Amino acid sequence: MSETMRNRLMLATAIVLAAIYLFPLYWMYITALKTGSAMFATPPQFWPSDPQWHIYGDVWQSRNVGRYLANSLLIACGAVALICVLGVGCAYVLARYRNVWVDIGLFLILMLQVLPASLMITPIFVGFSQIGLLASPRFAVILAIAAKSMPFFVVLVRATFMSVPQELEEAALVDGNSRIGAFWHIVLPLARNGILVSAILIFMQAFGEFVYSKSIIQAVELQPASVGLNSFMGPNTNEWNNIMAYATMYVTPILAIFVLLQRRIVSGLTSGALK
Amino acid sequence: MKRLLSSITDGKGFDIALVAFPLGYLFLMSGLPLLYNVVMSFQEVDMFSLGSFWRPFVGLKNYRDLFAQPETLPILYNTGIFVAASIAGQFLLGFGLALFFWTNFPGASWLRGLFLVSWVMPGLVVGAIWNWILSGDFGVLNFLLRETGIIDGNIFWRSDPNFSLWAVIIANIWLGMAFNMILLSVGLSAIPKDLYEAAELDGANAFQRFWTITLPMMRSTIGAIISLGLIFTLQQFDLFAAITSGGPNNSSNVTQYWAWDLSFRQYDFAKGATISVIMIVFVMFASVVYVRSTRHEVRG
Repeated sequence: MSETMRNRLMLATAIVLAAIYLFPLYWMYITALKTGSAMFATPPQFWPSDPQWHIYGDVWQSRNVGRYLANSLLIACGAVALICVLGVGCAYVLARYRNVWVDIGLFLILMLQVLPASLMITPIFVGFSQIGLLASPRFAVILAIAAKSMPFFVVLVRATFMSVPQELEEAALVDGNSRIGAFWHIVLPLARNGILVSAILIFMQAFGEFVYSKSIIQAVELQPASVGLNSFMGPNTNEWNNIMAYATMYVTPILAIFVLLQRRIVSGLTSGALK
Repeated sequence: MKRLLSSITDGKGFDIALVAFPLGYLFLMSGLPLLYNVVMSFQEVDMFSLGSFWRPFVGLKNYRDLFAQPETLPILYNTGIFVAASIAGQFLLGFGLALFFWTNFPGASWLRGLFLVSWVMPGLVVGAIWNWILSGDFGVLNFLLRETGIIDGNIFWRSDPNFSLWAVIIANIWLGMAFNMILLSVGLSAIPKDLYEAAELDGANAFQRFWTITLPMMRSTIGAIISLGLIFTLQQFDLFAAITSGGPNNSSNVTQYWAWDLSFRQYDFAKGATISVIMIVFVMFASVVYVRSTRHEVRG
């Protein structure tokens, strides 16, 4: 078998595997276009004969999707901003030195990374209610998400800072820069890409966050899209086309970002998580 | 004062300030709740004492009550099955895919990256999609299984106590498989190619090469991935909320969902805290294994 034949065969197999793997996504998009009866047809239609584009508009109106998405966006942006402000400096210091204190700090951060949100929410909720933070629930959720995701961010960004040569910073110091100046003008710009990719990963996580929002935010008009989707899915629901339309509107922006930045995201993720 | 200021702009104070704020924040938002959790598990907490810090201590009563409940052991058993089956499925399928893409053909890395979409999707959306795919009468999975002759009648994935846990496991394997594959690919690409060339010259077949080179060389990666898998499966909450809500009759309930359910559905915060403490000890144990297995890599 020639080399090109082999490559074509492998590529075809890979595409088939990817198609099988991505079938649930396809099914979401297709279901969102079906009528109530087409949705429950046996055998199911794998291609909608009569696509119902108006479902999107209907669901957007009736479920207030815009408001939910705005809340998700607000929470995710707040969490990412807080994490970036606090986490970048921490990652920088942990990357710059190698001594026993750094090891201890890293160990603590890795330990905090693993605490499951659904187990931490009980003390967080009780504590927040005692200090009155529940009066501003979206802010409380931002604080909780920031604490949950910051360790992951620090680990990823630290890997980026490790790849910035220290000589550049030392040269800037010799030229009369202060530490702040060298950090701000030399190190940060060099690490910008890695920080951006990590921030995007954190953003995606925060955008889909559910446990904290579900437990802390009681008022419907402040809830993010994940909680909205949860309350849309009653135990005996049969409006699956509407639910899938909702899910589509929720997830498509994230998928678009992912497909555009796929290469960077994958390499950023692998460099921090394991390598 | 002046020395302090100049140290912050120019010396060690700068580094300490950069680290102190985030660590302080993490201590306030993760460390204190962790301690508070332990304290609450020894207290009597109800809706009336929720607002006050001074609640009656009851010793080990919460722990004793918890293990006296009839559903505790089945739920712990479910958690074990969920973790073991999810990790096994994610790891084996992920390893298979990683080996397949490792053969390297044009487009391999792009297609491989595409698999990671499952990982960036909100858990609730993944749960909603699988809820619909797994639905009993009209679910597409039942249709495919029927057509291929694997099953005769429909499986009621979400409402049959024998299958409800497996419904969540299937969704969780789909969700975590790609992440496993990507990390395993990183490990595979770090194995020096000349090892295989040497083995091939010595006449080792593909299976022997896999068994004597790939697996031993991947040992630390595999250890890290299994412990990461343990950490991630014990964090999985959204799929339960979206697919079965722990039901029917706790047949698909696991500890991480149960802890939340006790606190926020039954308002039994003390029990919720108690089960959290038990599980967090488990997770911490897993994370020590993880940190140890990645230590040399993380420290660079």
